[in-house]
Amino acid sequence: MSIRLAPSHAIFLALALALTFAMNRSAIAAKFSLNNLIILAPASLLAIVLVGVIVFSQWGREEDQGESLRKTAGDILLLALFCGFCGSMFYIGFDVATFFFVWLGIVICGERSLWKPPLFSLVFTATVTSAFGALFPFPMPTLVF
Amino acid sequence: MVDFSALTSALDLMFSGMGPWIFVIPGLLIGLIFGAVPGLQVSMAMALFLPLTFTMDFIQSIMFLTSIFTGGVYGGGVTAILMNIPGSSSSVATAFDGYPMACNGRQNEALGLSLGASVIGAFIGYVVLFLLIQPLAVVVLKLGPLEMVLVIAWGLTLIAALSGASMAKGLLAGMLGLILSQVGMSTTGVLRATFGSSYLLDGVQVVPAMIGIFAASELLRIRERQTLSTRDDVPPVAFRPIIRAMFSTFKYPSVLLRGSAIGVLIGAVPGVGSSVANLVAYGEVRRTSSRTEEFGTGLPEGVIAAESANSSSEGGSMAALLALGIPGGAATAVLMAAFSFHNIVGGPAFIRDQGDLVYAIIVGNLVQVLLLGIVGLLVLRLLGMVIKVPLRYLVPSVLALCAWGGFGVTGTIAGVLTVAVFACLGWLMRRHSYPVAATVIGLLLGRMAEGEMVRSLQISGGNLGSYLLERPISMLLLAMMVFSIVAAVLKSRYARRAALSPDTQE
Repeated sequence: MSIRLAPSHAIFLALALALTFAMNRSAIAAKFSLNNLIILAPASLLAIVLVGVIVFSQWGREEDQGESLRKTAGDILLLALFCGFCGSMFYIGFDVATFFFVWLGIVICGERSLWKPPLFSLVFTATVTSAFGALFPFPMPTLVF
Repeated sequence: MVDFSALTSALDLMFSGMGPWIFVIPGLLIGLIFGAVPGLQVSMAMALFLPLTFTMDFIQSIMFLTSIFTGGVYGGGVTAILMNIPGSSSSVATAFDGYPMACNGRQNEALGLSLGASVIGAFIGYVVLFLLIQPLAVVVLKLGPLEMVLVIAWGLTLIAALSGASMAKGLLAGMLGLILSQVGMSTTGVLRATFGSSYLLDGVQVVPAMIGIFAASELLRIRERQTLSTRDDVPPVAFRPIIRAMFSTFKYPSVLLRGSAIGVLIGAVPGVGSSVANLVAYGEVRRTSSRTEEFGTGLPEGVIAAESANSSSEGGSMAALLALGIPGGAATAVLMAAFSFHNIVGGPAFIRDQGDLVYAIIVGNLVQVLLLGIVGLLVLRLLGMVIKVPLRYLVPSVLALCAWGGFGVTGTIAGVLTVAVFACLGWLMRRHSYPVAATVIGLLLGRMAEGEMVRSLQISGGNLGSYLLERPISMLLLAMMVFSIVAAVLKSRYARRAALSPDTQE
């Protein structure tokens, strides 16, 4: 008998545990007192127990992988593109980053036309940049608009 | 029962100018559209448009967000009736009788009944809130810090237990939110878990986190579909019969009242809300009807029960937010974030000190519900077409708006990166049925829980156990929390056994 978790589920549980340990390490290093750990310590303890419960509830069972590999790969690709877009906005300009993200995003989501995605993306970027530029009270780096 | 001086100030605040009403119709339209598109949730719309409210005053922002909420709950019913595709989980039961009515050529009657029931249900929900908010405040003012901690813990437990996933997953999601809420400066002035980033000094930014976890992660889930429906045979919509049917809703007073009462009660319970309210009300009306076997074939009572319940649950969920400062679900969590941005904390002190604002919110929502009757009627035809939107264009566009929204909150890269991080977290969580709303509510309430817990420790002199025994309300709350956990565990065991029993496997 063994425990078989879906890889993405195992990643999530590992992340939850890593966050719990890192938070506690930092909080204890900052000040080891009841007041400082009054929520963090019990919540962490319960989280560790719950991770154990969830893992052992899969004992001897193969977890449903949820979605097809193709769908997962597509999701991860779009998610990676989104993270790249978020990280690059301040460096290449909000407008340029938005234009390329929306263009590539439409292609990843299945549009086959060659000219529609960049055209839509251009109109969308121009509209969003001017609308949000007028609404937001903060300056934002742009390259074109 | 009603504080008339606060009510007079509220009426003055709401009707002395157009200010509070400017964003109500746009809000209703946004809610109707997001509610009608399956996969796009009302909470997603509220989180996405939340940064826009930061330039508005408090009442304007709450009116805008609650109008999205009101419109969204009704919007889901339109596609449920016309296409048998509920736009949101709160409209599942509407399709049971609404769609058969449309198939029999009675789509206008079904749409009219659903609009009438939504308007009346939501109105009843807010009238109940209007009448009970003051007595509720008197009770809530008796709660000390320890009781508040227990209320928070109970709310989180209920959200975790009743959110549909396994209880362990729900609780882990809630704990993750609580742990994340401890990043940055503590309530006692200790700097912890910033990991060297100055952006984390004030903790995790809640609004970008909400945008990422509610909106961005959900968009990835619906990415692969081309359009929401490929059907071309949307039944034709005509106004005159819809208006006639709207008024015929009054022919079913007992169904309306029962649906609305169930909606208000269920809406007030954290973690349940309109998704459960419409199913329970439908089931209850069906159970007590003399025509039980005709339900599901196109009975007006089915549509009215479902729609009045999901709409009236809004008033119930607002009761928990206003009286206790505890959001019962995703939509009220976004409202709570808007409260925080304007330095307003819901709860007993809010009702006591700013009664005019409380009544202004309630009165504003009562008017807003009536406006829904008009706006909903005018956009019915558009809502039938919304379902044809090509998702391959919609998903990247709304994702880009999520990142812009994150920037709009903070004005720094921190907001945008928070959206990205929480989009990844939300994607992982949704993939394995963890309730993301529990994480957000944990994140929102963690600081409050910490402050109240520290105060309880100070008052009790460090001896929480004996202090708890001295306070009957605390004991009652603790007993209710334990009862909720035991009931949820027993219910899930019973459901598992029922699923495994030979009778059900045949």
